[in-house]
Amino acid sequence: MVSPHGILLATHIISSSYGEQCSKVCDCLLRHGILSLAQIIRFTELTKESVVNCLRVLFNQNCVQPFSSQREGGFGEAPRIVTQYIVLFDNIIHKLRAPKFMQIVSEELGSDCLNIFHGLIQHGRLSLNRIIERNEQTTGKTDVQVLKESFNRLLNFRFIERCPSPEPFLAPQDNEEPPVKKRGARRGETQEVLTVEQRVLEAATPMESLRFLVDVDFASEEKVEETHAKVTLGKKRKSEAMVPDEDVMGAGEKKEVLWRVNYEEFVRRLRDKACISYVKTRLNDEASIVLSAILELSKNSTVRHKVVESAYLSINAIYDEVIKKDGGIGMDFDHIRASLAQLGCTCSSADGEAYSIDLKGITDKAQSEEVESVVLKRYGREAYRIFRLLSKAGRFLETDKISDDTFVEKKDTLKILYKLWKDDLLDMEKIMLNGGKQVAFLLWRVNKGPLFEKFRDEMYHAALNLRLRIIHEQEQAKEVRL
Amino acid sequence: MSRSLGGPSAKRKRPETDAPRLVDAELAILNSIKSKKDSGIWIRDIKLDTKLTDHVVNKSLKSLIAKKLVKEVVNIQYKGKKHYMAVEFEPSKEITGGEWYTNGNLDKELINALQRLCLKYMMAQRVATLQGVQNELKRSGVVNFEVSAQQVSEILNSMVLDDQIIEVKSTGLGDYHSIPIGTICYRTASVAGIAKGAKVGAFASTPCGACPRISLCTSEGLITPSSCVYYSKWLDIDF
Ligand code: SF4
Repeated sequence: MVSPHGILLATHIISSSYGEQCSKVCDCLLRHGILSLAQIIRFTELTKESVVNCLRVLFNQNCVQPFSSQREGGFGEAPRIVTQYIVLFDNIIHKLRAPKFMQIVSEELGSDCLNIFHGLIQHGRLSLNRIIERNEQTTGKTDVQVLKESFNRLLNFRFIERCPSPEPFLAPQDNEEPPVKKRGARRGETQEVLTVEQRVLEAATPMESLRFLVDVDFASEEKVEETHAKVTLGKKRKSEAMVPDEDVMGAGEKKEVLWRVNYEEFVRRLRDKACISYVKTRLNDEASIVLSAILELSKNSTVRHKVVESAYLSINAIYDEVIKKDGGIGMDFDHIRASLAQLGCTCSSADGEAYSIDLKGITDKAQSEEVESVVLKRYGREAYRIFRLLSKAGRFLETDKISDDTFVEKKDTLKILYKLWKDDLLDMEKIMLNGGKQVAFLLWRVNKGPLFEKFRDEMYHAALNLRLRIIHEQEQAKEVRL
Repeated sequence: MSRSLGGPSAKRKRPETDAPRLVDAELAILNSIKSKKDSGIWIRDIKLDTKLTDHVVNKSLKSLIAKKLVKEVVNIQYKGKKHYMAVEFEPSKEITGGEWYTNGNLDKELINALQRLCLKYMMAQRVATLQGVQNELKRSGVVNFEVSAQQVSEILNSMVLDDQIIEVKSTGLGDYHSIPIGTICYRTASVAGIAKGAKVGAFASTPCGACPRISLCTSEGLITPSSCVYYSKWLDIDF
């Protein structure tokens, strides 16, 4: 589940853009996980109308995803289909990154594409007709053909995508009760919520072949255009009225294909860029060229964060891509093989010579270095050495061994270890040995899983602090002007 | 132990062959000390062991030291507590702290000198193996003792931990052409060859990333982002 400062940051982002009520609904979903409309009303103590409106705003901003599933009925009752909601935490945080994403679009595709993209960032999801309309209003340009070309380019680059299904149906599976239980078995809950969230997203995402497909729509959009005025009017009326639970998101409205920003693609690009630059400084230019070739070849299959390894690629395919890269033209098969070995690629000879890259290994190392750097800044060089030793070892080490390997005085070692342990950076275990006299040994370990979680939470904390400080600075500036 | 950049360590004297006559108390204490061999014994434990009074133990110890049968040693685990050992034993690694300790203190000067030498060599060579570094240390004659492969490895590993150098496997190409493929070797951490130590990470270069008080910082309270001095400094604002 989302960490404490993750929740604070997300609700701050929502409250500053969409108001307190939306933030309250968002907070409620972040804390409780999957909820039905009735539960959200109960937890937030808002009116049904307010909750529905908030859910609609959050849905339009791609921050909430409804889904339906089958619930067993009571005695003698038939099973019912119920609608529930999950909050998409990552998408809320992506709002902070919007300027970065816009910069990428602007640099790669220019201002026409940026304008369309900006519209989607602002409004969350739009039909092509709305995009055309907005473009006319903001730029005064009326050439639809030019706009469609820009739209197509955005789509080809996968910067935008077709919106997922508004309310996918989740096939029955056990344990789908909403985790209304508070505290208690939090770990189990986390697991369950994550799994359901992933399943919902999977069910909602259009097929890969449709997700970035535009041609069909252009044809159908032409037809829709005629009835456009009517549709928008109808939409407006609907948002003002109360809607039944089953149709909160207006799934029953006249279907128009909606488009939105494809955050996954930006995350992939930035991740790949970070990995390449990491390898460049840590290994060498050649290894970074080979890595960028592999990532280029497998870019469409490694978008999801969960991808840990690329698919196997043949040495010939890698070579063909390497020589296209800057500085890659002089590399031969031996150079490439040497770099692949340095990158720790696994080789399979099932279908000729093929390689797969351990992406998670690289991101893990890069993340570890970020954490180590924080340790250096906060606790000093000796702590940094100790922390790196433990982080590399990945297992429990005894105080004396740590002191010997890091050249830190024994008594200082214990002090530093204790401090790091108190700040939750290390695990400690005490072992008593009975050999005539009782001797206590202290063992220490860096446990990366929880540690990375802690740092992620600190980063959310830091991002929130930055926002709060900016607001403070703006208020100060206002006061000075007055 | 006692390795240094300076002159050779003094040779220890062997115990005299004609053992002086000892009174009973001294004998009991000597036996107690000897039984602990190279681990030494704390004065309080001698008292417990022999059940003699403080006065007798102190007096006998003085006498045993004068007779060169017992010596006082520094136990690095308990520096303030007096430890004793029979002269025929050399203090164990647990007591002295190991090869890098002199008189109970880590010989940082020696370690730093060796590290600097290694770094200089590596910057000139770009890539080096453990054997290469060891030969270089021998050739330079900077230290007056034979540095073992184990010691070189300890020095290199500490530099890896400091991110001054990195451990890599030879590819047999380019800089590595003279090193068999797969051999562990070391090179300076930054590609430019200027070892600056760890690069500051992105998060660590922000005020909150470097802040030791982050866990106490809240939107309302004593430590808040609006009143934070680290931020003021970072933004270079003077209010
Ligand atoms: S706002 Fe200031 S006090 Fe708070 S965590 Fe950041 S740097 Fe530390």
